[in-house]
Amino acid sequence: MSYFVTTEQANQVLSKLLETYDVYAPKRFPKQGRFSDTDIIRYAKVEKVDDIVYDEKSDFPAKEVINPIQQAIFYFTEDEFRASKGHTRPILLFARPCDINAQKVQARIFMDNGGYQDLYYARMRELINFVLMECPGGDDTCFCCSMGTNKTDNYVMAVRFGEDGLKVEVKDDKFAPYFEGAAADDFTPKFVEENQTKVTVPEIPDKDVLLALKNHPMWREFDKRCVSCGACTIACSTCTCFTTRDIVYGQNPEVGERHRIAASCQIDGFSDIAGGFGYRKTAGDRMRYKVLHKFHDYKVRFGEDMCVGCGRCTSRCPAYIPITATVGKMAAAAEEIKKEQGK
Amino acid sequence: MNHDINIGKVRTNCWRQSKVDGEFMLQLRVPGGVIPVEYLQYASEIATKWGDGNFHIGTRLTLDFPGIKYEDIPAVNKYLKKYIKGIEEDLCGVDMQKLAHEPHEWDEDSGYPTIGARNISACIGNRHCICGNVDTTDMARKLEALIFPSNYHIKINVAGCPNDCIKAHMADFGIVGVAKIDYHPERCIGCGACVKACKHGATRVLSLNELTGKIDKDPCCCVGCGECVKACPTAAWSRNPKKLYRVILGGRTGRQTPRTGKMFLNWVTEDVVLGVINNWQKFSAWALDYKPVYLHGGHLIDRAGYHEFKKRILEGVELNPEAMVAEQMFWHETEYRSNFNVKKPEDHLTAGPGSQG
Amino acid sequence: MMNNPVMPIPCEILKITHESDLEWNFRVKTDVKPAPGQFMQLSIPMVGEAPISVCGAGDGYLEFLIRSVGKVTNVIFEKKPGDTLFLRGPYGKGWPVEELKDKHVVVITGGTGLAPVRMMLDKLYEEPDYCKSVHLISGFKNEEGIVFHDDLAKWEAGSFETIYALDRDEKEGWRTGLVTTFVKEIPWKEFDGNYAVVVVGPPPMMKFTGLELVKNGVEEEKIWMSFERKMSCAVGKCGHCRIDEVYVCLDGPVFNYTKAKYLVD
Repeated sequence: MSYFVTTEQANQVLSKLLETYDVYAPKRFPKQGRFSDTDIIRYAKVEKVDDIVYDEKSDFPAKEVINPIQQAIFYFTEDEFRASKGHTRPILLFARPCDINAQKVQARIFMDNGGYQDLYYARMRELINFVLMECPGGDDTCFCCSMGTNKTDNYVMAVRFGEDGLKVEVKDDKFAPYFEGAAADDFTPKFVEENQTKVTVPEIPDKDVLLALKNHPMWREFDKRCVSCGACTIACSTCTCFTTRDIVYGQNPEVGERHRIAASCQIDGFSDIAGGFGYRKTAGDRMRYKVLHKFHDYKVRFGEDMCVGCGRCTSRCPAYIPITATVGKMAAAAEEIKKEQGK
Repeated sequence: MNHDINIGKVRTNCWRQSKVDGEFMLQLRVPGGVIPVEYLQYASEIATKWGDGNFHIGTRLTLDFPGIKYEDIPAVNKYLKKYIKGIEEDLCGVDMQKLAHEPHEWDEDSGYPTIGARNISACIGNRHCICGNVDTTDMARKLEALIFPSNYHIKINVAGCPNDCIKAHMADFGIVGVAKIDYHPERCIGCGACVKACKHGATRVLSLNELTGKIDKDPCCCVGCGECVKACPTAAWSRNPKKLYRVILGGRTGRQTPRTGKMFLNWVTEDVVLGVINNWQKFSAWALDYKPVYLHGGHLIDRAGYHEFKKRILEGVELNPEAMVAEQMFWHETEYRSNFNVKKPEDHLTAGPGSQG
Repeated sequence: MMNNPVMPIPCEILKITHESDLEWNFRVKTDVKPAPGQFMQLSIPMVGEAPISVCGAGDGYLEFLIRSVGKVTNVIFEKKPGDTLFLRGPYGKGWPVEELKDKHVVVITGGTGLAPVRMMLDKLYEEPDYCKSVHLISGFKNEEGIVFHDDLAKWEAGSFETIYALDRDEKEGWRTGLVTTFVKEIPWKEFDGNYAVVVVGPPPMMKFTGLELVKNGVEEEKIWMSFERKMSCAVGKCGHCRIDEVYVCLDGPVFNYTKAKYLVD
């Protein structure tokens, strides 16, 4: 069933929903951008429909709600660890198809990998109800169609924002009562069918081609260009990597918190083991590690590419390194290697 | 050649004497160094019609036209009307019918009325620069309306950030855009990029706290540049939206006592900056006993002494809560001649009523 | 409440043996029964976690060789018997002990790389008939770096063929040189193809030992290596230990060389 609601009606629906749900959506944080007088759009709790930024892609992904940059996982004393309580209220999460599909990718790691289910992801994921934000087309960094992540049916409601109001498809009946009395509409969400930017993921037929690709000189370009800040991985819809850190307060602490904090394979030290030995000591090696993971390694393990083509890594890169161009270079290098190896 | 030229008067109208007999160079004001490109047609016209076909970007970001004959000055002055009205009145809101804030008739065919208040220099600021914290063009234009036209000299340089590419430290007043930085610890991953950026490009005020995994800051020594914001991959640092400024006082070059300016005000709002500069005419008038001379503004501060200057320049200015003011001011001059300032008491220069002979 | 695979369990420290100044062996009370070559996450509140391979096991206890190389282990070194360490695990796939049955076994270790094979070596020592022979090459940087003195002596006196070496220094009864130099002294021809090789040590040592073994005609599929990688979760979530599609914490740390040689970080 679909409806049309004016912005005013939508705000009434939202305030009713807020009695039961926490609502997270992309929100503008004015003047908090990297450069002076630029904004940041990132996920936060919203209480008004006007707070939701729908016509611009958020700088940071929806994953931050489910899998936050930082969270306490344990409280401890000298003798005991106690798991943190975590969120309890159910959540409505406004997200575009790329962000919703990214959760399939994250879930394979958090819920399945190695047969271990991550408590913290699982308990949060259980609370999430996606509200699909119909994507108005993204921008020139987007390539969801190339990755097959432009569509989804994983949502309880779908929304199209307009000047005078919202069109809403209610897919999960439990939300129908909130729209009682609203005007009926024949709205169903449309999905982006073509992006301005396209990506061809290279075919890497075997380990020898992979090995040659790892050693290909193309990665050396990034030794100088990439600044290894990790902004791409923080902005990534699918990156899951984290590190664990114990936090204590005061000089002679007896209690503290064990935190899980987002980590980045692009930042030097990610692979350092006790004693100081580390792998991938150049920016180019770290770039290769990331790009191969997104466009090859993950697929070998889980059967689908990791990248959902949201393009946020490109948007956030302070060094103007677009992932699409890098994948293009990798595809060319792979072709060259296959020809050399007669494959 | 046989000329009868009042060089002082011509200079007051922004014409500079040339070493070439009978020639002058026009200096067009470009407040903040930014003008809409259509005004370049005036530059082209002046240079080709009256000048030698070139223009020079002046050291204070003026557009300079050398090689203009003294005889052509009235024609050029008349031609300048549209440029002056467009830039000064329309763009900057200058009241051309005033002189040092007092009513004074300006003949619009007579070119620039005064040279005292020098062109306000500014870097490109945050309209373009990735480092800039403030809109320097906007600030320069607002300041222009406060200092021009006037026969009291003042040089103002406006820098978008503490990197100070425009050399705010070398002007009577250097206005530097600074930012108070907000920290969002919940977004901080403790990667240390900001610590490195601050160490490399600023004042080493950040350190990684090993106990909390977060960043400790020595706010006292933060210059407010925003390098931490630029470096952060997670947007855990952001510039506080309140635009703030640092005011550097008394920098100058010259043959006698060049010196770098010192910090006079820190973390002040635009209103404070404008209030201070607005007092400059009154201060100068007092210091020179209402008898303007061709003397750079910084020397008036020396003559009055810092404390007297401070009292007068801050008169009626309401400081914002964050504002800091220099209690004392100890400039360090380059004394080309040792003990330059040691001289007979009767030779000491002074300020205030009756001081100017 | 769902199961929490990263929940640390408090365990009592029973005994601390100083193997060297920097390497201490912690015996911890627990009923967990890891396989040789598996590892566990050791946890000290306020300090953090570190993956440590199990170097010994007995009735109701496990042993961990801990090197004081950082923030975490410095605090562990302040602990005394009776204090608490937190453990979770065991994790990963250990040595292919079944594969070694009735074979000539060659074990090559560098430095504290002896720890992850100690449990397995003890089994082979206790059960001399389990395999045909055991050749052990153990190299250390210098005399100060030698660990498990008693075990080395025990194995040398027993049925193992041993070559103990220091990288550059001289020591009575010991050889001088990197472990790679002694690979050719193993009587590979006498094994008649019926052998298995286990290599563990610092990354460069494993790399060059692998190459040296292949140079000596050792078949790749008969070589096994244990990887040491940074880990935060040990359950395939945190991503630190990933190489290609492989998670060292889940799929390793022990890998066959046919796989290991492609695992370029």
